[in-house]
Amino acid sequence: MVEKLLFIVFAALAVMGALGVITRSNVVHGLLLLVFTFINVAAIFLLTQAYFLAVIQILVYAGAILVLFAFVVMFLNLREFQQLEQQHPVQKWTALVLAPLMLAEIIFVVTGVTYGSVQGGMSPDVIAGQGGNVKAIGEVLFSEMILPFEIASLILLVGMVGAILLAHKEGGTENRLRSWGEGEEPLPAIAEQEV
Amino acid sequence: MQIPVEWYLVLSAFLFVIGAAGVLVRRNLFIVLFSLELMMNAVNINLVGFSRFHENLIGQNFVLFTMTVAAAEAAVGLAIVTALYRNRQTLMVDTFDIMKG
Repeated sequence: MVEKLLFIVFAALAVMGALGVITRSNVVHGLLLLVFTFINVAAIFLLTQAYFLAVIQILVYAGAILVLFAFVVMFLNLREFQQLEQQHPVQKWTALVLAPLMLAEIIFVVTGVTYGSVQGGMSPDVIAGQGGNVKAIGEVLFSEMILPFEIASLILLVGMVGAILLAHKEGGTENRLRSWGEGEEPLPAIAEQEV
Repeated sequence: MQIPVEWYLVLSAFLFVIGAAGVLVRRNLFIVLFSLELMMNAVNINLVGFSRFHENLIGQNFVLFTMTVAAAEAAVGLAIVTALYRNRQTLMVDTFDIMKG
């Protein structure tokens, strides 16, 4: 009973955070609300007794991926076109009608089906007897899931190479970001530092 | 007391629809990327809920792979954002119409 109550609380907080992400006009506010949503999702993972995933959710998602986002948001000076964000009213109202419709559809389908449970025998008690969640996940990961595991390493490699290629500045030193404007001379001290 | 699997599915539906609406409505490229992350998290909730329901750990392992893909996607997406911003000085998605899509 307590678990169900906590689930409802965390789910409501996650949904409110998600709504905040897509309605705030300030990107930094959206980012912080996204972190809030992910932490609530991690709490739901904890309630499901997926302890390792809850930790990974906070470490990798809220910790690494969103810090990467925060870095880029703060590198780019977004302040000047915050006012430019005006949604097309037609698009907004269409979305406001269609999104709840799609939600109702999904919920109708999802709650209308009776799910037959195939008991795999890894209930939380069994997992605890086998030495904990992390050990059980690791055993599956390195036996049944070993091929997807290797492919995941390949995806990370491709992502890394792609990110470097895309963000690489072409044209050598000509296009370097400068702290002085076009056509004005840099102060000698800055020029010495940056060139 | 086990939480019914339908609750996970409903929560996941909420987050997924919010993410989809964010991708379609917002013009800021950053918010579009945030919405993509939201949709991936909705899928993760589904996987974890079914993993608990079926009492095996394949679903929880799959969440690890989803997170790997999300990390790669974030890295490539942010590289595209920096490249676009360097060339166009804006991040409004409907100004990127060079391919006439």
